[in-house]
Amino acid sequence: MRHQEVVGGHYEVQNPVVNIVFGLVVAGVVAWALFEILYPRLRGRFSRRSIQGAVGLAGILAGLYTGLLLVYPDNLHLLFGPVAGLAVGVAVALALREGLVRVTSSEDGPMATLVPAIIGLAVGAGAAAYIADRPESGLYLSWAVSCLLAGCVGLGLYRGLYVTLRNRARSPLIMLVASMGILLAISATITIVFESAPRPLPPAFGSGPIEFGGGNIKGFNFFTVGVSLAGFAGLLWLLQRTSFGRSVRAIGDDEDVSKVVGINTTVVIAIVFFIGAAFAAMAGILSGHDTAIQPRMGLLLLLKGWIASVVGGIGNLYGALLGGFALGMVEQFGIWDLAGEWKDVISFVVLILFLSFWPKGVLPRK
Amino acid sequence: MTTRTGESTEAGQRLGLVGRLKNGNIELWANLIVLALVIGFVFWRGSGFAITIGTVFAIWAILTVSLNLVVGYTGLLSVGHIGFFGIGAYSVAILTSTTDYSLLRTQSIPTHEWPFFAALPVGIVLAGAVALVVGVVFNRFRDDVFVLVSFGFAIISFNLFLNAGAITRGAFGIHEVARPNIVGRTLDGELEYLIMALACLAIVSLVAWAIVTSSFGRVLTAIREDEQAAAVFGYRVTHYKLAIWVISAMMAAMAGGLFSSWTSFIDPNSFILLESILLVSIVILGGLATIWGSLLGAMTFVLLEEGMRFLPFIPDVYVGQARQVALGVLLVVLMLFRPQGLMGRYKL
Repeated sequence: MRHQEVVGGHYEVQNPVVNIVFGLVVAGVVAWALFEILYPRLRGRFSRRSIQGAVGLAGILAGLYTGLLLVYPDNLHLLFGPVAGLAVGVAVALALREGLVRVTSSEDGPMATLVPAIIGLAVGAGAAAYIADRPESGLYLSWAVSCLLAGCVGLGLYRGLYVTLRNRARSPLIMLVASMGILLAISATITIVFESAPRPLPPAFGSGPIEFGGGNIKGFNFFTVGVSLAGFAGLLWLLQRTSFGRSVRAIGDDEDVSKVVGINTTVVIAIVFFIGAAFAAMAGILSGHDTAIQPRMGLLLLLKGWIASVVGGIGNLYGALLGGFALGMVEQFGIWDLAGEWKDVISFVVLILFLSFWPKGVLPRK
Repeated sequence: MTTRTGESTEAGQRLGLVGRLKNGNIELWANLIVLALVIGFVFWRGSGFAITIGTVFAIWAILTVSLNLVVGYTGLLSVGHIGFFGIGAYSVAILTSTTDYSLLRTQSIPTHEWPFFAALPVGIVLAGAVALVVGVVFNRFRDDVFVLVSFGFAIISFNLFLNAGAITRGAFGIHEVARPNIVGRTLDGELEYLIMALACLAIVSLVAWAIVTSSFGRVLTAIREDEQAAAVFGYRVTHYKLAIWVISAMMAAMAGGLFSSWTSFIDPNSFILLESILLVSIVILGGLATIWGSLLGAMTFVLLEEGMRFLPFIPDVYVGQARQVALGVLLVVLMLFRPQGLMGRYKL
């Protein structure tokens, strides 16, 4: 069942069952997402059956493509490069269009659509060619693939399970217990497939130490901090500045009313699940590069995140950031007097103190 | 007071046994299937297997019954119960251990060489005292916040077992925990041990049954259904919750003492957070607010591991993990279709 060998200093994991499962998940998720997005718009022109057929076909293609990526991880730069290039091109084109619309203050005309499209195409093609030419970019492309896969799994869990559970559940504890069941099942599955021993990830850039302020720090740690800050900024922008963010906040306030005013709550929550899972995967990758990966690495990090959000104030993004930093600081300061093993104890003592005396957190939600 | 969900008793009695089976009475089916599996496995694997399985079952069942008092009857979803189990296990191990660690050249701890039946009450009382302190702090929390702080208790106690090396030998673990000794006769045999474990289980189940059928138990159920209403009726809700929390912790410590003297070696890995989540899962699987359901859940859990050996594509090393997968999937399915568990009287 298991086929692993050390290739060029890192483990090569090939498991047909895993590849098939991921392919199926991606196929299902892509088909469902396309259907949810396209059906309301194309309802008038095409029959339901034909839309279903089309999205089904797209899903199957996406699943096959995922399988292809997973079976040939060594050729990731050739297989996934074009997709990455496409993503870069679209992002560049959208940003340019946004900028041009701001400058010329005209929504239509060739300036606002054609020029960004051409530039985006060129940049995207350039990026694709650049990536395809460099086999060593496989590691970084694998990050993107992992995040997308994790997002798809999160979305699949949401659609397959949470939608039904939310409709039936009488109390939030049911969701909690169900997610504990998922945790048990997934962590044990990972152990069965990939063994329980900690395993290092292949070295990324910046693995050497850098002298900084009298101490040695891995350059990669700066990258980690940068990614977390960038991710935070991106989330903040998404939540505060876009219409999607407004819908998310509306659902957070009152889901039923959001439905009444015409927000497609199912899709919005699905996107939130996707983003959450992809972010979690990124966190796992970054901390895996810092130390090592193992099947049980997530639970304690997740609990610490929960503590950070309680300390900062639940429902407040700035609070979460502040809480995270404060918790990290307290853990490290505590180590000065105590041995390093006690930092988990410190964080939970902080949690209990906060919940007892300051249950709303440092920055309570308005 | 308790709301009977699903099949009503009267209708069931009128239908008779076969009729109830045909009607898809899940409780009856679950009972029959588990009992049939027990008999099947015992005949298939022989009596030695039955004795081992029985002891494991007895220890898990004491834990599930005790946790059900808190989760099912009082409505506090505690994920920290493994901590009390660990306190009981470590107390017995430390007090009874006779190993001279200086020969092993690892961290050494003093040996006390107490008999098992002197160490067990100490462990139980210690767990009760810890539970009292923890309970006073935890009493103000409810629902998901309670879950979070009980996670915290599990992690803090695990770290104590791991890091207080001067008492617990940390990751090295404690060897050669003594077997119980009744009037000069050491319970070395597995069968004797099984009988003692089952006797302990019987005592715990009887105590739990006495609690839940008494007026005390009815107040607990009232607190579960509506804490404020119970308080309005003049019951000191805090005291009731604290009392059942301490009692339940003491029962868990008893299971811990049995566990450490049965395996005769313990280290912190038996008391990790995941075990605690497993424990809660078993309680919910068996059913909330029913003692028989807890016994059934523990039996299902123990049999599940053996059942996994049938699956040809799972290597033997990963049987425990495969059981965890099965339990997780079962839990999700139960939450979807039967949130009260197999035999439950109370929906989360």
